[in-house]
Amino acid sequence: MSFISSTTIAARTVLGTPAADRARRAPGFDRWLGWLGPLALLIIWVAATRSAGDGAAHMMVSPRQVLDAARELAGSGDLADHIRASVGRLAVGFTIGAGLGLAYGLVAGALPAVQSLFGSTFHALRQVPSIAFIPMLVLMFGVEETFKIVIVAKSTFFPVALATAEGVRGVPRSFLDVARVYRLRGLNLLRYVLLPATLPPIVTGLRIALGRSWMVLVAAEILAAESGLGQMMERGRQMLRLDVVLVGVLFTGLAGLALERGMRLVERRLARWRRA
Amino acid sequence: MTVRGRLWAAVRALLVPAALLGLWEFLSRGGAAATYAFVPLGKIVAAGRTALSNGELAGNLLASAQHACLGLVTGSLAGVLLGACLGTSRICDRILGPLFHGLRQVPLLGLAPLIGLAFGNGAGAKLLVISLAAFFPVALATGDGVRNVERAHLELGRALTLRRRQVFRHILLPAAAPAIVSGFLQALAFAWLATIGSELLFTASAGLGSFMQQGEANGRMELVIVGMIAIALVGLAMNGLVNRAVYRLLPWHAVAQK
Repeated sequence: MSFISSTTIAARTVLGTPAADRARRAPGFDRWLGWLGPLALLIIWVAATRSAGDGAAHMMVSPRQVLDAARELAGSGDLADHIRASVGRLAVGFTIGAGLGLAYGLVAGALPAVQSLFGSTFHALRQVPSIAFIPMLVLMFGVEETFKIVIVAKSTFFPVALATAEGVRGVPRSFLDVARVYRLRGLNLLRYVLLPATLPPIVTGLRIALGRSWMVLVAAEILAAESGLGQMMERGRQMLRLDVVLVGVLFTGLAGLALERGMRLVERRLARWRRA
Repeated sequence: MTVRGRLWAAVRALLVPAALLGLWEFLSRGGAAATYAFVPLGKIVAAGRTALSNGELAGNLLASAQHACLGLVTGSLAGVLLGACLGTSRICDRILGPLFHGLRQVPLLGLAPLIGLAFGNGAGAKLLVISLAAFFPVALATGDGVRNVERAHLELGRALTLRRRQVFRHILLPAAAPAIVSGFLQALAFAWLATIGSELLFTASAGLGSFMQQGEANGRMELVIVGMIAIALVGLAMNGLVNRAVYRLLPWHAVAQK
């Protein structure tokens, strides 16, 4: 239910709202306005750090200090190591989870028998938020790599499986009827009818899954890890290094943004025919 | 469906869960190491019964639900306000929109170290995380709903020379209500996740997340599993409650969704 609403919102953002159309047509002035918000925030930040006394030194970190911390972390190679660790876990877990989710979704979407057998288990497990699995997985696999990959795979599997099953089930009957009239079979049926009809919802599911599993991974790294952006932030917090924490927030945000933008690009390409 | 068909469907639906439980029980008898990970079902039931009878489960559950509700209310209210601003005022959308969408990308629980450092490790930090979790989906959905209002309705409002507040109350809000409801349902799931997450990430106090973490620290898998079941049930109950409320308040929307 909540998933359906989230896909409609996603579809609306992909397909564009009237205001978004206006913005696309608007000249550079509108774009320039967009920098005003972040700029104001930056000015307030600088002003606040300038006016704060030495007493609050650890809480008031200026943008320059954050930049210095980022440079230091980047120079020593620590930052690259942490990013590599996090992204590596995400890649492995996401691949496993998405592969399994696609397979289950295809089968469950195409065969009602499978759906009626596994549906209840699937939906019961789906009710447990991924975060709530962390203590159990830690007890099962320890705090090493396995637990992080399993948690990423778990939080990828469910949205992908759900979107795939819905996508397969949502292929309109009329499409199949037309395909029969044209005597499309086998590969051609797949290439010209089934793939174009099912791919857009699947890619939407993949995008949602990627965002969620990134968040869950960072949380898991904060709780228990030897490396990764989450662990870097958590250690920064313990050492009261607000600058390090902010560098971490910046990079987790940027990584999240890059993943989301990338998936949206794929999505838009695949949904091109829809807008016509 | 006939009675027999319904019975058969129920049996089929329970087949796999029963098989999985059987497998779990079988694995739990496979030696000391396996018993640690796969606790016997009897032990889980016993742990659940004790936690129920001594009020431990109820107390933690109530605390978590309280956190979630408080955060949900504050976050949703703020979300409706900002969403309405973004949706109605173009200047507002241009200035605040990019900032809003940029901040939305930062994984929420990834903010925990920052919030912990800035606001301490206590109830305030938790409330902030949960409110933020509810805030973003509601703001996004409200903005969308307000933006997609029928232009004819706005023109009618102008013809009737309605005041700004009247336009908001009588045209924009009813038009955006279905979108706000969708956003709120999404916010519900996120806020519940954020509640558990913040209880795991911040200093322990009462709450289901802390209950599970204590179980983890003591190596008591049965308590962790009892906590997970409780979390799933509360999530399910909240979703059902809100769906029922939606059906009452916006019958046309509930019918349209079916």
